Amino acid sequence: MRRILLPLAVALVALLLGAALLAPWIAPNDPEATDIARRLLPPSAGNWLGTDHLGRDLLSRLLWGARASFGAVAAILVLVLALGCAVGTLAGMAGGVVDAVLMRVCDAFMTVPTLVLALFMIGALGTGIANVVVAIALSHWAWYARLVRGLTLSLRQREHILAARVAGLSRLAILRRHVLPVLAGQLAVLASLDLGHWMLHLAGLSFLGLGLAPPAPEWGIMINDARPFFRTAPMLVLLPGAAILLTVMAFNLLGDALRDRLDPALRGHAH
Amino acid sequence: MRRRSLLRALPALSGLPVLPRPAAAASRPLPRTLRFSWAGNAGPLHPHRYAPNQMYAQAMLYEPLVRYMEGGRLAPALATAWEREDDGRGYVFTLRPGLRFTDGAPFDAAAVVANIRALLAQPSRHNWLELVAQIEDVEAVDPGTVRLRLRGPYHPALMELALIRPLRFASPAVLRPDGGVDAPIGTGPWLLAETHPGQHDLFRRNPGYWGEPPALEQVMVRVVSDSNTRALALEAGEIDLVYGTDQLDADTFRRFAADRRFTTAISPPLATRLVALNSARFPTDDPAVRRAIAHGIDRAALVRHVLLDTEPAAGTLFAENFPYTGLGLRAPAFDRAAAVALLEQAGWHLPPGARLRQREGRELVLDLCFTGGDALQKALAEAMQGDLARIGIGARLLGEDSATYLGRQKSGEFGMIFADTWGAPYDPHAFLGSMRQPAHADYQAQRGLPMKDEVDRRIGAVLATTDEEKRAAEYRWLLTTLHEQAVYFPISFLTNKLVHRADLGAVPFGGTRYEIPFDRIRPHG
Repeated sequence: MRRILLPLAVALVALLLGAALLAPWIAPNDPEATDIARRLLPPSAGNWLGTDHLGRDLLSRLLWGARASFGAVAAILVLVLALGCAVGTLAGMAGGVVDAVLMRVCDAFMTVPTLVLALFMIGALGTGIANVVVAIALSHWAWYARLVRGLTLSLRQREHILAARVAGLSRLAILRRHVLPVLAGQLAVLASLDLGHWMLHLAGLSFLGLGLAPPAPEWGIMINDARPFFRTAPMLVLLPGAAILLTVMAFNLLGDALRDRLDPALRGHAH
Repeated sequence: MRRRSLLRALPALSGLPVLPRPAAAASRPLPRTLRFSWAGNAGPLHPHRYAPNQMYAQAMLYEPLVRYMEGGRLAPALATAWEREDDGRGYVFTLRPGLRFTDGAPFDAAAVVANIRALLAQPSRHNWLELVAQIEDVEAVDPGTVRLRLRGPYHPALMELALIRPLRFASPAVLRPDGGVDAPIGTGPWLLAETHPGQHDLFRRNPGYWGEPPALEQVMVRVVSDSNTRALALEAGEIDLVYGTDQLDADTFRRFAADRRFTTAISPPLATRLVALNSARFPTDDPAVRRAIAHGIDRAALVRHVLLDTEPAAGTLFAENFPYTGLGLRAPAFDRAAAVALLEQAGWHLPPGARLRQREGRELVLDLCFTGGDALQKALAEAMQGDLARIGIGARLLGEDSATYLGRQKSGEFGMIFADTWGAPYDPHAFLGSMRQPAHADYQAQRGLPMKDEVDRRIGAVLATTDEEKRAAEYRWLLTTLHEQAVYFPISFLTNKLVHRADLGAVPFGGTRYEIPFDRIRPHG
């Protein structure tokens, strides 16, 4: 079972990522072109999955929606990793007062539920996809900073690092050559487990109308738009919902599989 | 069959809010109780205050001196007769004799004076209403007669006395010196029996009501904020009636209309659903752009495919069933070629390969603002955006929270913005009156018109004149000017829609948008 988990997850993620990247070429129609006379049509040759309440092609919107979701999640990933690594390594390497202050800041961020914190920040920053990305990143970086700091602290005392220091390597060089590569694996596991979680946050905030401006397609927005038509055209809700489900599941599988691969303790059990 | 049962189970599975399913689905809890729903609780029910007091509930408890009937006719209510004094500045009302508030206190001239003085003590709350500023004094001539003196002649005085708020009357015993009320005590057909925040409000029939007693004994109003939940509750028999402008979305209304178990009805026009165009801001400061927009949006398609014909298309700022509005004005026909010609003539050209027109290097783009949480406004905005794109006008959709949206109405930071009229009995006079207030979208939209000063001056004149012919002429000039300047894109006339089980009985429509005539509902059996 475990053996097929990783290939399966990778295949699923690759498929979804491919759809997102190729959307402009494979989407059969303009996702934003309205034609209200052709609203809520069932699947047909022209619209493989039918049309929404404004006559827009559902398949095209799903594909372009993948692009929006993946793009935003990638941006969140970059922000969280950058912030988490910067703060974590700084706290870990510097220690003392700097460490104490930075970790209390982390504590402050970790005490508030992430969604509440994100909503608060959107309230302060204003709506829009960029602000949603920043808000999600700012409400999640603290866990990464903690992890990175812990790993850095434990690494700092290892013999090879001490040897490097004795050899006269600068702190920055030690960080780059001996600390970050070790962190990378751990961060990959944590991040792949969190990607799905961020995707849900993103869809949730978009559902509330805080993310992308209409008429841009995004899965959360599509679900919210389709609510009034739940009884007459349930596919308008179910398909974007299924897309979110599949994506989150794929990321979670990937995270689990990566953890199994990289975690020596679990690897021991598997054999 | 199988598909239906699956669909029924879905909302529960997907975690949509579903009301608990009580046994009440089959049997009504009490005889002659109507179960209704509303988005929130009725509020503290102060007759002179605004949000969070709900107008439908204020209208159940409190009554006006004169009542507004459909089409602008006035009928006696707490006053049986009234007379305007010769200088046009005074009104004398003969009060209905022998009336009592639900706490037993008499409704007499002293009660009227106490209420009007109480609301005059806080004039800033009522800035929007010209009548409050116009009242100079109110005096009790004798216990059955009240004299109202105005600062100057003010023609719509009686109309504004008919409003649901603020000129209605609570028992003087509950009026506090600080302006609040201790309890909601009025003279109306209903009294508030219970209120549970977030749950329900219960109204009971006023046993001592002076008029024809309601056939219903109780009205139970459950708090249901979501229109899908409301539709499910109606279907499950947990509520008996849905009544209002946007209580159900158009698709759901159509579904009920096609279902023989339910009775549906649509009222005559009550107000106008419209978009205001900002004449003081680029690019809608160009009259050609405003006229092109009027030609370029397919109103009939919006009404047919987004509103699903639950509201009639609107070609004018006010429906013609309102006083002074039957002028025969017609909206510019939907004609993309005409719109494009107007834009081309005004120098807005489409560069090769571009999607948006330009003039002097500036793109033809405007902000179209709406409330983000309003699914209907959003759908209308997206459809309008599609139409505008086809004539080379870019519309940035700004769907924001209602505070930001209202802020834009006040500050004028919009290109186009949804701004419905207030409906009967505010239309047309009180709505026109508010066009002179900078804190209104209409003022902001009209600010760039070369004749804005004259518009404001003439609004003042139309409200003051006592000469019927002159008034009609002023209204004609005002409404025609605003129509020709294309500062509004009317979409449809708002209607009240009602849905109930066919076996409920007869449910009539109220004369105004916010009045629900519970007292005139006649249940079967």
